[in-house]
Amino acid sequence: MSEKSEMSLMLRRRRFLQGAATIGGAAGLSSLGWSSAFAQEPEKPAELIVRAWGGSWMDSLKAGVSDSFTAKTGIAIRHDLTEDNEIQPKVWAAVAQGRVPPIHINWDTTTNATKSALRGVTEDLSDLSNLKNTTDLAKPVGLDGYPIVNTYGYVYVLAYRPEAFPNGAPKSWKDLLDPKYKGRIALYNDGIGFHFPAQVAGGGKLEDIPANMQPAWDFIAKMKEQQPLLGEDPDFTTWFQKGEIDAACTISTNAREAKKNGIDIKWVVPEEGAKFDTDGLWIPKGLPANELYWAKEYINHSLTVEAQQIWLDGLGLPGVVPGVKPPADLVDDPSYPTTEDAFKHLIRVSSKVQVENESEWFSKFKAIMQG
Amino acid sequence: MRAAKSAYPLRWRIMDAMEAFAAFIWPARFGRAIPWLMLAPALLLVGLLVLGLIQIGDASLRTLDTTTFLMSESYTFANYQRAFSESLFAAIAWRSLLGALIVTVITLILAFPYAYVMVRTTSSITRKLLLIALFLPFFIGQVVRAYGWLIILGNQGMVNEALGLVGVAPIRLLYNYWAVLFGLVQYMLPFAVLMLAPALMAIPEELEAAAGSLGAHWVATFRHIVLPLARPGLVGAGLVVVTLSLTDFAMPAILGGGSQDFIANAIYDQFFRTSDQGLGSTLALLLVAVGSLLVGLVFTVFGAGTLAMGRARR
Repeated sequence: MSEKSEMSLMLRRRRFLQGAATIGGAAGLSSLGWSSAFAQEPEKPAELIVRAWGGSWMDSLKAGVSDSFTAKTGIAIRHDLTEDNEIQPKVWAAVAQGRVPPIHINWDTTTNATKSALRGVTEDLSDLSNLKNTTDLAKPVGLDGYPIVNTYGYVYVLAYRPEAFPNGAPKSWKDLLDPKYKGRIALYNDGIGFHFPAQVAGGGKLEDIPANMQPAWDFIAKMKEQQPLLGEDPDFTTWFQKGEIDAACTISTNAREAKKNGIDIKWVVPEEGAKFDTDGLWIPKGLPANELYWAKEYINHSLTVEAQQIWLDGLGLPGVVPGVKPPADLVDDPSYPTTEDAFKHLIRVSSKVQVENESEWFSKFKAIMQG
Repeated sequence: MRAAKSAYPLRWRIMDAMEAFAAFIWPARFGRAIPWLMLAPALLLVGLLVLGLIQIGDASLRTLDTTTFLMSESYTFANYQRAFSESLFAAIAWRSLLGALIVTVITLILAFPYAYVMVRTTSSITRKLLLIALFLPFFIGQVVRAYGWLIILGNQGMVNEALGLVGVAPIRLLYNYWAVLFGLVQYMLPFAVLMLAPALMAIPEELEAAAGSLGAHWVATFRHIVLPLARPGLVGAGLVVVTLSLTDFAMPAILGGGSQDFIANAIYDQFFRTSDQGLGSTLALLLVAVGSLLVGLVFTVFGAGTLAMGRARR
């Protein structure tokens, strides 16, 4: 092929791609439900930076939200895998110093995000058009407006290896106190997810949180005698895979990930209940107006049924938009609550109470476990 | 008679011009300031560190308001009170200090023969092999090395698999205090050898030969000749190992299973997990203070070793 005809082919291909992108973009805009789809749009940035958790968490977000957003708008999405706790001070410092923040969108735990909202570094998201299609779960509890949009919920289940529980699934968190599980249990290193069920397992009442949590501390002290491993999300999957643990209090996504990797693993919500919490998306203050607009559109897009379906199929978690179907392996699963009855077994405490007391709970848990 | 053109070549003239320019920029009377000029970059760096410490000191006197997640405007010693009164911090501080001391002693015991053989061997192949083995770990980061130990010492790791071959059930080798100390010793060993080697090289080999020719057993030679003369190296290596171990983060985090935190892990938790920069700053300053006190104590008792400054006394 001559140089000229090669050039001509390249141009035709490029023009085709441009045309396809325009058609795709227009189709996407209409499906996003943006009232202003054909109105004057602010200039598109080359990319948006979304902080995310790595591994299957990022893969799911990319497949469900980021890729389809890029296809519809032409804006590339870069996933920043800085830990949520580590990006927080960077964002806070940027806002305090009047600098442009290092990310456009933060995928965060609602508790962490609430801290940023209380500090006043989050943009208000009340004007997102797709919010009207969401359930109550999307609204952060105890905060005005929508400084964060919750995008799904999750349960801190009791995950276990059936082989280690020959008499059947554990029914209670107290079952983990059996001496044969000494050194074979894992909890989060700050105790997150375990404080509230420990309160019940220790003989206390949920209504006493946060005023009197002595029953929780007593139960955690008993659990300490079992010499649990303490880690974070990726550790649980690894520990199950490497045969280091038999049971863990962890987000069901981590247990499901280990199961996908061929490990025989199941999970239950014990009789004392399990903590239910949410994650969300928020935008830090200080972005240029056009970038803020497109960052909001990214979050708006994450609230569509199509995006939620793929994203949350990957995570195995219930979303905030009606119509999202559970993955086949999680139908009627206690970690995927969809009915009022299913929520009765779950423990939900407002983010505000958690945020205001988290430091003290964390210190107490650490003092017991490190002592 | 005209001087030959080559008697004062062009490059000399250029040098003259440059010297004149340098004298214009930096007159001879400024000569005394040259050492300070050379020190300026280092002083600037230290100055920035001091500025950082002042900021950390300021933050340590402010408390976190959990209703706004902002630091208080007023100063208070509340964070210091917490640091000294909460049993969590006492337990972590004790674990860190004890760990740093144990690691230092074991590392020096292991590093000394390694450095001695490396310096004294007559075989260039042996010396090269020891040097390669010494420098290889420097190309692998601390975190990667710690993960390496997870693979080797895990329940399904190489060690337990080997034990399984002789009928021994898997043993939990990881996620305890000794695993952390083991990882630290392995990490610190090359530092200690590098600090010890120059001190051992400075000991004249003839002294050992003379002791031997006078009938001294090698143990006596080691005790009365090598060890005393190697003291500067031992002190220098000890100081480096003890301070690096005391402030280590990765080994306790990865090999400790979450229940063997050192002070650096506690500082991380305050800064990044509870967002309490005030308490985090307080713990950071206390760590600096404890480390400095420890180094000062060693300087006072043993001298500064190979880290000594100034000309040698005559």
